[in-house]
Amino acid sequence: MGAGEMPLEAEALTGAGQERELVDSCRSGDPAAFARLVRLHEGMVFNLSARLLGDPEEARDVAQEVFLQVYRMLARFEGRSRLKTWIYRIAVNQCHNRRRFWHRRRRDREEALDEGLVTAEAPAARAAAGPGPYEEARLRERARRVQAALLQLSFEHRSVLVLREVEGLTCEEVARVLGVPEGTVKSRLSRAREAMRQRLLGLVEEGEPS
Amino acid sequence: MTCARVRGRLSEWLDRELEPEAARAVSSHLRECAECARRADELRSVSALLAGLPRLESREPVAARVLDRLEMEAEARRPALAVLFRGFAAARPLILPSLVPAGLFLVSVLAGVVALDSGPLPEVHLAPGAWGAVPASGTERNPLFPSADVEVPRETTGLDLSPEILAGRGEGSMFVETVVARDGTVAGVTVLQGSAEGEEALLEALRQQRYEPVRYRGRRVAVSVYRLISRMSVEATQRVGVTHPPAS
Repeated sequence: MGAGEMPLEAEALTGAGQERELVDSCRSGDPAAFARLVRLHEGMVFNLSARLLGDPEEARDVAQEVFLQVYRMLARFEGRSRLKTWIYRIAVNQCHNRRRFWHRRRRDREEALDEGLVTAEAPAARAAAGPGPYEEARLRERARRVQAALLQLSFEHRSVLVLREVEGLTCEEVARVLGVPEGTVKSRLSRAREAMRQRLLGLVEEGEPS
Repeated sequence: MTCARVRGRLSEWLDRELEPEAARAVSSHLRECAECARRADELRSVSALLAGLPRLESREPVAARVLDRLEMEAEARRPALAVLFRGFAAARPLILPSLVPAGLFLVSVLAGVVALDSGPLPEVHLAPGAWGAVPASGTERNPLFPSADVEVPRETTGLDLSPEILAGRGEGSMFVETVVARDGTVAGVTVLQGSAEGEEALLEALRQQRYEPVRYRGRRVAVSVYRLISRMSVEATQRVGVTHPPAS
């Protein structure tokens, strides 16, 4: 599934009724339904986890754990929030737990991992832009620096920023995912953007990307 | 609005989350203040940079891994019941072939037992005496079981009850066990009941007795003989003397 397919697949579940139906099928133990649920959401869970953790291996593990948890907790999903929001919430919590453990262990490797993350796991960017080798290298370097700056933020700021700017959720949705008031999301967002601005001043002055 | 206040609200202004009035105030400030306008542009660029990050994909699909894990977990939970409901031979494909040598081994052991066994050969068998004074076998006072297969041993040397021996006896009666060894000699005499005091001569006479060796299933065995000795017993023994003729 490429980046371009994501909105399409999200659209497949826009109807609350369709979502309900899928969840009910999963609860009744239909493995095909659960496989569909995973396939519909694995892209966003992986991207979110990879951006929050800065490590594709960790992100894969987290994505797996997230869906195992989804499977076990599906009975408790009440349908008051959207399935997507609920899964995002589980994913953020998993990343947070993983992060705490991982931060102690591998702080020193972080910088090297960023590189691997962007070069090894971003075939979509190259295919879509179709730029020359110089432009390609420039884009890759830019993405690396943005990711590195993200990882310097606190987890609170990073998660708000990734959900809002990378995943494109509204402030209200972010608030629901994180389980905090919307005002908190807005103030965190403001501070996180300012922190990013200071860290990316060089890039920002290069001009508008794309 | 001061610059500091505007900068504090730029994020919301960019998200169009401000109240219309506040939004208008920020907009008008940005038109006038180049520094704040530049700040706003930079923040917009930051958002664009983040939104422009390439979407990352897992090299291997997550779904396959998750479904594999779930299947494994289900498999790990299942077996206890599954084994019960599988066919006996299907669950243990090697059990029938393995029973053949086991059976052969068992047969050979049984054959050996049958071939070598000429019956158990107990060392001591009890001949039930003809005397009513013997307590019922298996009771507390006579823990020994009599064997119906053993005859009462025949005396070859009778009991020498000379008047001197009997003269010393009082009114009390005595219950005596004589253990007859395999060769017919007396291995021991024990007074089971009554006083042994002053009866040394009588006990010695009992020890001097000789019996015909008792055979059980063709082999000589040792036996115990019980007898009650009292004043009356002499006569009594004489009457039952079919088996024990006292030598007078």
